[in-house]
Amino acid sequence: MKDLARLISHQATSPEREHSTVRALRPEPRTHYHPPMSETTPTLPEPSRLMRHRALAWLGVRWRIVHTSAVLLVLALSPSSYTRSHRDAIARNLVAACARNLLWSSLLSALISIVIIRIVLVTSISYGLSQYALEMLIRVLVLELIPLTAVLFVAVRIAVPSLVRTASSRPERADAHPLDPERLAREALPIAITTTFAVLLLATVSCVLAAVLAYFSVHGITAGGLASFTRTFGRVFDPTVSLLFGLKTLLFALAAGMLPVASALVDRIGAAPRASVMVQALVRLLFVILLIEAASLVGNYY
Amino acid sequence: MQDDSSDPRTSARVAFKASLLIALFVALIGVSVFYLLFARGLFEETQTLVLRAEDSEGVTVGMDLTFSGFPIGRVREIQLAEDGTAHLILDVPTKDARWLRTTSVFTLTRGLLGNTNLRAYTGIPEDPPLPDGAERPVLIGDATGDIPRMLTETRELIANLTKFTAAGGSLANSLDHMEKFAGKLAGSNGALAALLGDDAAGKKIGAALDRTNTLIARVDALVAKADARVFGTEGLAAKADAQVFGTGGLLPEARAAIVELKGGLTDARESLRKVDAMLVDAQAITANAREATSDLGALRAEVDANLRKLNRMIDEVNRRWPFAREVEFKLP
Repeated sequence: MKDLARLISHQATSPEREHSTVRALRPEPRTHYHPPMSETTPTLPEPSRLMRHRALAWLGVRWRIVHTSAVLLVLALSPSSYTRSHRDAIARNLVAACARNLLWSSLLSALISIVIIRIVLVTSISYGLSQYALEMLIRVLVLELIPLTAVLFVAVRIAVPSLVRTASSRPERADAHPLDPERLAREALPIAITTTFAVLLLATVSCVLAAVLAYFSVHGITAGGLASFTRTFGRVFDPTVSLLFGLKTLLFALAAGMLPVASALVDRIGAAPRASVMVQALVRLLFVILLIEAASLVGNYY
Repeated sequence: MQDDSSDPRTSARVAFKASLLIALFVALIGVSVFYLLFARGLFEETQTLVLRAEDSEGVTVGMDLTFSGFPIGRVREIQLAEDGTAHLILDVPTKDARWLRTTSVFTLTRGLLGNTNLRAYTGIPEDPPLPDGAERPVLIGDATGDIPRMLTETRELIANLTKFTAAGGSLANSLDHMEKFAGKLAGSNGALAALLGDDAAGKKIGAALDRTNTLIARVDALVAKADARVFGTEGLAAKADAQVFGTGGLLPEARAAIVELKGGLTDARESLRKVDAMLVDAQAITANAREATSDLGALRAEVDANLRKLNRMIDEVNRRWPFAREVEFKLP
C-alpha cells in the first residue's frame, strides 16, 4: 500500500511539472521596448513541440484518471478497506442514494418501457409481425435500453452530485495528498461503491420491471403465455448474450462508480472550478458509457 | 451526518436498510439467474435428435422445432458432417418427445421474409416413439427458391413489353394503322374507303348500290304485274277456284268417291268378321286334332300290347303244335 501511495504521489506531482514545462516553453514577457541584442536569434518554441507537450499533458490526465480508478477498484476489492467506520460510511451513502432513487428510477424505466412496448406492439401488428414483438421487446428493452437508462440516471442523480463533496473536501492534514490511499478509502471509496451498487440495483429492478410489463402487454393479465414468454426469454438470452449483458452492466456500474470520482480527484489537483470538475466528470463518463455500449452492440450483433 | 453516524441506533438502522437493499439485489439476481437457467432448459430432461439437411442456411442455434405450432425442441448445435451435409443437433424435452414417432417427417421451410421454420409432422401417432439420438433427414422447402425463376420471367416479360411498345414496334404500328383507319373513316368516302382501302373501290360500291336500286324498282313493277295476273278477276286464282270448288269441280267428285270408299270399307269389315269366325272354327279343329293325336298314342300302346299278346299266343301255339316240330331221330 505504501508503494501505491508513493506511486500516486509521484503521479500527483506530474501536473505541476507539466505546468512548469509548459511555462518554460513560453516566451518571456518583454520588459523593454528594445530587447537587448544578442548574437543569436532567440529560440521560440516550435508549434509541433507545443502540440506534443499538450498531447502528453492530455494523455497524462487520462492516465491519472484511469490509474486512480484502478486504485479505487483495488481498494473496493480489498477487505482491509471495509473497516467499521468505512462500512458505516458506505451504508449511509448506499441508503441515501438508493432508497430515494429506487422509486423514481423504477417509475422512469416503467414509463419508458410502456411507451416503447406500445410502439413496438402497434408497429409489429400493423406489419403482421406480431410473433416477433416479444423477442424484439426483450432485446431492445432488457438488453439495451434499461441498463443504459439506469446508468445515466445514476450518473445524473447520484454520481455527479456526490462529486461536490469530493471536490470541495479539504485534507485533514496539510501535507495529506488528495490521492492518499487512506483518504481515498475514507472519502472516495464509499461514493464509488455506492454508485456502483446503485447502478447494479437499479438496472436489475428496472430490467425485471420491463420484462414483467412486456409480458403483460403482449399476453394480457393471464398466466397462459408464461411458457411462450419463458421460451422466448431463453432463446434471446443464449450464453453469449447473457455473458455480454452481464459484462456490460458490470462495466457500466464500475464506470459510473469509479470514473467520476477519479476524474474529480484528478481535476481537484489542478484546482479546477467545481462546476468544471462536475461537467468534465460527466462528459468523461458519458464517453466511456458510449464506448461500452458500442462494444456491447458489436459483440451482440456482429 | 457526522452526528448521525455517532449515534449507534441510527447506525444500526442505516446498516439494516443497507442490508435490505443488498438482500433485494441478491434476491433479484438469484431469481433472474434461476429463471434464465430454467428458460434455457437446464432443469429439463431432454433427448437428442439429429436432423440431416442439405443446406443449413437460416438455421440458428436456439431455433425452435415446432409441432402443430408448438415448440417442442431447440437447436443446440449445427455441424458440417463428413459427407458435406449439415447436421442440426436438437434437444427435445422428454415430455414433448412423445409427439415424435419413427415415421415423423421434418421440414425446413424458408419464408419470403427470410424467416426459417423447422417443423415436425407425425402422420401415425400409433407408431413407435422416436429413440434418443435418432438421425432423420429434413425436407427443405424454400419459398424464395422460385424468386430467380420469377425474376427471369419478369425480365423477359418486361423485355417483350419494351419491344412491343418501342417506336416501330407492334403496338406503335397498330396505332399508326388505327390512326390511318380513323382518318379514312372521317374522309369523304367514309367507312367504305376505310374497309376497302381504296377510294376507287368505294366509288364502285356506290355505283353498284345505285344499280341495285334501279333493279329493285324494276322487280317491284314486275311483281305488280304478276299479282294482277294471278289474283285479278280473270286471273289464275279465280279460275282455279271455279275448277276446284265449282259444280262438277274437283271437290264434289272427291266427296262422292269418299262415300263409295266408305261403303267398300263396310263390306270389307263384314268379310273380315266372317274370316274371324272361320279362324275360331279352325282353332277348335286344331284342338280336336291335338286331342286325337294324344288318343292315338294310347291306342298305339294298346295295339302294341295286343300284338305282344298275339305274339306270345302264336309262340305258345307253335310250342304246343306237335306237327309243327321238326323231329329228327339220329341213330347212333
